[in-house]
Amino acid sequence: MKKKVLTILFLLVVSAWLAGCATPGSSKPVPYKLTPQGMVIWEDEYEFMPPPPDWKLLRVEDESGDINFGFTHDDGGTFPSVTTMAYDEDPFGCSAGFESREREFFKRFLFNAILQFQVLEKKKVQVVGMEGLQVDVEGKDPVRGEKVRARVVFGKRGDRVVGFYITQWRPIDNAYDLSIFGAFDKFVGSFKYLKKSFYEML
Amino acid sequence: MEGHQRNLYLYERFNARVLGVSRDDVLTLKYWAKGLDLSFPLLSNITAFLGVSVGAQPEGQPIFGRLTIVVDKKGIIRYAREGSPVFKDILLFLKKLNQEGGKP
Repeated sequence: MKKKVLTILFLLVVSAWLAGCATPGSSKPVPYKLTPQGMVIWEDEYEFMPPPPDWKLLRVEDESGDINFGFTHDDGGTFPSVTTMAYDEDPFGCSAGFESREREFFKRFLFNAILQFQVLEKKKVQVVGMEGLQVDVEGKDPVRGEKVRARVVFGKRGDRVVGFYITQWRPIDNAYDLSIFGAFDKFVGSFKYLKKSFYEML
Repeated sequence: MEGHQRNLYLYERFNARVLGVSRDDVLTLKYWAKGLDLSFPLLSNITAFLGVSVGAQPEGQPIFGRLTIVVDKKGIIRYAREGSPVFKDILLFLKKLNQEGGKP
C-alpha cells in the first residue's frame, strides 16, 4: 500500500514538474505525455525516464525548425554551478563511425568557451540497444576561472550517430558533484525509439 | 556545411551533388573545409558574380546572404530558400525530384 501511495505521489510530482515546463498562456499542446510507469513519451517518438523534479526542461528550436530537448539543474553555489543534459539527433561532426565522430565532436563542443579538453575515460557502452561510445572529459578555462566536467555518449539511430551529453560547470576551485550524473545515466539507459527516424524512412 | 556533409550519402542516393560557394579566398576556404572535415567542393567567388546571379548577395552588401538552391540537370533553379538550410525539406525535395526523373 505504502509503495502504491509513493508511486502515485511520484507521478503527481512528475506531472506537476512537467506541467510547470509548459509555456504559460500557450495554446500549443505539449509535446510529451506520461505513462503510468512514470516514463515520458516525447512527440510519440522517444521514451525515457525523466530526471527528478528539480530539473527544468529545456527546449531549443533551431533555425531549421528541429527541436532538441534537454534538462538543466541549478546546483546552487557560486556561478557557474549548473548541470545540463541533452539528447541531440545531430551532434557536431559528420562521420558515421564513433571514433572519428568523437574527434570531430570535440573540436566544436562548448565552442563558446575556450577550453582544452582532457579525456578522462573512454569506453564502449550499450545505448538504445546497440553498441555506443561513452567519453568522459574535463575542460578548464583558467582565464575565466571556470571548469566543466562532461560525459558524452554516442549511439546509433539507423545509419546516423546521435548524442547524449551532460555538462557540469563549476568555479575552477570548487568540487564537482558527480552524483548528479546519475540522473543522466538513467535518462540514457531508459531511452528508446518508438518509431523509425525521418532519415530511416526517407 | 557540416549538415550537408552528414547528408552526403543521402544526396548520393538521390543523384544530387553539393557545392558550397563563398566570397572568401581559396586559402581561407581550404582551412575552413579542413577544420570541418568537408569532402565536397567549395568554390571561392571573390568577385561575387555567381552569388549575384542567383540573388544571394543583398544589394549594397559586401558578403553573400545564406541561400540554398537546388539546380536541376537542365540548369533550372527548382528550389531556393534563404537562411540556414532546412535539411529535411531539402532531402524531401531531392527525393521528389529524383522520382520525377529531374535529376538535380
